[in-house]
Amino acid sequence: MSGIVWHIFAFGAIVIFLIVATYRTLTIIRLPIHLRWELAPIPHEKGKYRYGGSYLEEYEWWRKPRHRSRVAPIVYMAGEIFLLKGVWKHNRALWPFSFSFHTGIYLLVVALFLHVINALFIITGVPLSVLNIFQGIASILAVVGYLLGSLGTIGLILKRALDSNLKPFNTFSTYFRLLFLGAVFISGGYAWFYSGDYVSEMSIFIKRLITLNSGVTVIFPLALHIAISLLFIVYLPFTDMIHFMAKYFTYHAVRWNDEPQDEKMVKKLRGLVAQPINWSADHIKADGKKSWVDITAEGTSEEEKP
Amino acid sequence: MKKKNLKLTDISKDADAQLTELNIDELIPLPPPYDRIEGLPGFKQLTGDQRERLVCNLDGFVALALSKPKNQEEEKKYIEQFVSGLKKLLSKEDNWTFLQPLLLSLDYCARCQTCNDACPVYVASGNNDLYRPTYRSEIFRRLVDKYARPGGKVRARLGRGDIELNWATISRLYELSYRCNLCRRCAQVCPLGVDNALLTRELRKLFSQELGWAPQELHEKGTVLQLEVGSPTGMRPDVVRDNVKFLDEDFTEMTGVEISTPWDKEGADVLLIHSAGDILSFPESVVAFAILCHAAGISWTLSSEAPGYDGVNYGLFYDDVQLARIATRHAQIAQKLKVKKIVMGECGHEHKALITVADRLLTGALNIPRENVMTFLENIVFSGRIKFDPSKNDFPVTLHDPCNVVRNLGIVEPQRRILRYLCPQFREMTPHGVDNYCCGGGGGLSVMSNVNFTDWKVNVAGRMKFKQVLEAFADQPGPEVRKYICAPCLNCKLQFRDILKYYGVREKSGIICGGLAELIVNAMVDIKKPFIAWGER
Repeated sequence: MSGIVWHIFAFGAIVIFLIVATYRTLTIIRLPIHLRWELAPIPHEKGKYRYGGSYLEEYEWWRKPRHRSRVAPIVYMAGEIFLLKGVWKHNRALWPFSFSFHTGIYLLVVALFLHVINALFIITGVPLSVLNIFQGIASILAVVGYLLGSLGTIGLILKRALDSNLKPFNTFSTYFRLLFLGAVFISGGYAWFYSGDYVSEMSIFIKRLITLNSGVTVIFPLALHIAISLLFIVYLPFTDMIHFMAKYFTYHAVRWNDEPQDEKMVKKLRGLVAQPINWSADHIKADGKKSWVDITAEGTSEEEKP
Repeated sequence: MKKKNLKLTDISKDADAQLTELNIDELIPLPPPYDRIEGLPGFKQLTGDQRERLVCNLDGFVALALSKPKNQEEEKKYIEQFVSGLKKLLSKEDNWTFLQPLLLSLDYCARCQTCNDACPVYVASGNNDLYRPTYRSEIFRRLVDKYARPGGKVRARLGRGDIELNWATISRLYELSYRCNLCRRCAQVCPLGVDNALLTRELRKLFSQELGWAPQELHEKGTVLQLEVGSPTGMRPDVVRDNVKFLDEDFTEMTGVEISTPWDKEGADVLLIHSAGDILSFPESVVAFAILCHAAGISWTLSSEAPGYDGVNYGLFYDDVQLARIATRHAQIAQKLKVKKIVMGECGHEHKALITVADRLLTGALNIPRENVMTFLENIVFSGRIKFDPSKNDFPVTLHDPCNVVRNLGIVEPQRRILRYLCPQFREMTPHGVDNYCCGGGGGLSVMSNVNFTDWKVNVAGRMKFKQVLEAFADQPGPEVRKYICAPCLNCKLQFRDILKYYGVREKSGIICGGLAELIVNAMVDIKKPFIAWGER
């Protein structure tokens, strides 16, 4: 593959990923405010979280100050993201594979970040001793990531194929996604072992991308790995594997969203209840024109309406 | 008939055949003396006539008594309505109320099945595939993807999971949406925050709001009756006042304490809204509140304006519009009475409906402060205005946590502080608090008893809870020791009543069920005779 093609391929993949992931995130953010549907325990409940309590336990809670922890939700999320604590607690048989798989991904993301740093070091002429340390760390993280990721993927494929609890829910897409990600890990491992100086090759490749150097060349095992990885980056935001982004909303916008109404919220709600209802069942009594508030507060005076 | 290894696609096959079968010996075992199957009544079988007239194609139980369609045109009409409903569920205008949680739960499930073992119905059934929280959710998800989103049919054929939408699918999904207690234990353990209970409720909502299908106990005899008459019990305002007046007189005589319930007192501090079912089924609860409010010197009132005397809101279980209508009426009545706050009676779903879910419906002057019953009672007990003698409650007591109070609102400790203070033999169930098991009547099921559904509720949905209760009292299992399940929720009490009756628990184990307020009154020094009746309830 010639230099310019690598540039188009790499930057194109990143741009597509960012556009689609941003679009999907914005789609969730722009959804209307919903009715409260919180679920205990909520970590930001200072002093009450350990047993699942909430501010509603306070007598006349609306007169009392709320004590919210900013740290506890972060600690909770960190445990969920990096240790998969929920899976450990409630689905232990899946945890070794899932943990291995996810840790493999995290290590590769960190390794990629270090590859970019190393490329910048090369561009800026940072002393070789410093570069060597960073490259050494990147190399170790990458190989451990490839190994863990490969093991996790193989484990998950076997588990999904053989476990009678999981099997009925599998589709072609289920296996395709795992195989695709497995190809990223395995090709990476292959590149690490058979590319000579893997980490230097990677740093130089990224340096040439960053500096728009058209002389980008990569040896075969690494080229294969990079190509598969870039294709995966394009594919990822179109799938439900982007749940790492959605998880923020399922927790913060739904499970932990216990905010009582305020002025800003009421303004939005008034707009929502002014919309017409179109549901067809007779008891709804919708005619396509009557609004939510007309229908739910039918027969009451203006001042009695929400 | 497939018992295990049910495929998702089986839902759309052979509309007249039963999809799965339940046998009592496949359910998880109960502790003695309820472990002997031969001593139990068994499942009531459907009659030939019922099989002829009604849709009976799920699991041998019928909750909804849906009539079979007359012809193919009618089937086609229902299928079209279902697709139309799927599309409305995805619309910002028609489903702003729950669109964000719905889409997050539809689009980001990893199919890891972590939720299954958290579901008391699935576990109690002996892991019957049909009752996996994910079984109905995944079918719903695939139908949404195929029929309500652009390019869905192509995607389904290309490997995203292809489920055919036909009469079999719709009729089974309808019945299956009432095999869930909406307890949200599954949502609690989901690593991604996916909520199968919410998906189930959205499915029920589609059926109700688009096809006009809902269980008659929740709809015609539930929300519709409540909005028309005042209460699903059928009690009109004058009947409620008469009944409560009778209770006041009766219990004044029994306790020797003057009991007088105030009605429609404008400017009272507290508008107390009971579940009217308590007046008929658990009248001691209603009287206990009157005694406590009077003794604590609280300025309070009941409302005799329909539906201000019945706090239930079955809309929470199946229909957003009915939910909003009832919540709005409750708030309007409080506004008219110029009360300082509304206090819920001992009713879990009333709490969830009025305190949190309706919080974003009741804006402006309708946003009247709403207090939960546990902190209200805790404040009374620890106010120092009433003298208590905990030795009067010296019998084994365990606490059933209503899901809507603990898991959904995070109100866990106030009721425990009361019980630890007033009940020397209080003991917890395992698990409890926000990890509790549903009584099996959640999600509206406790008031549903069509055809042979009660058998399913007591044998499957309530099994984990019944097992927990027996284990909590395992140190004194015999009937010679009187034991009390404190269930501060009308629907939970109704479900317990069914369980206790079905298994003959009062006779075999000496266990009864009642509320929290009764236990408090029972411990009052000024109430000379025992307030808790240990006879048949």
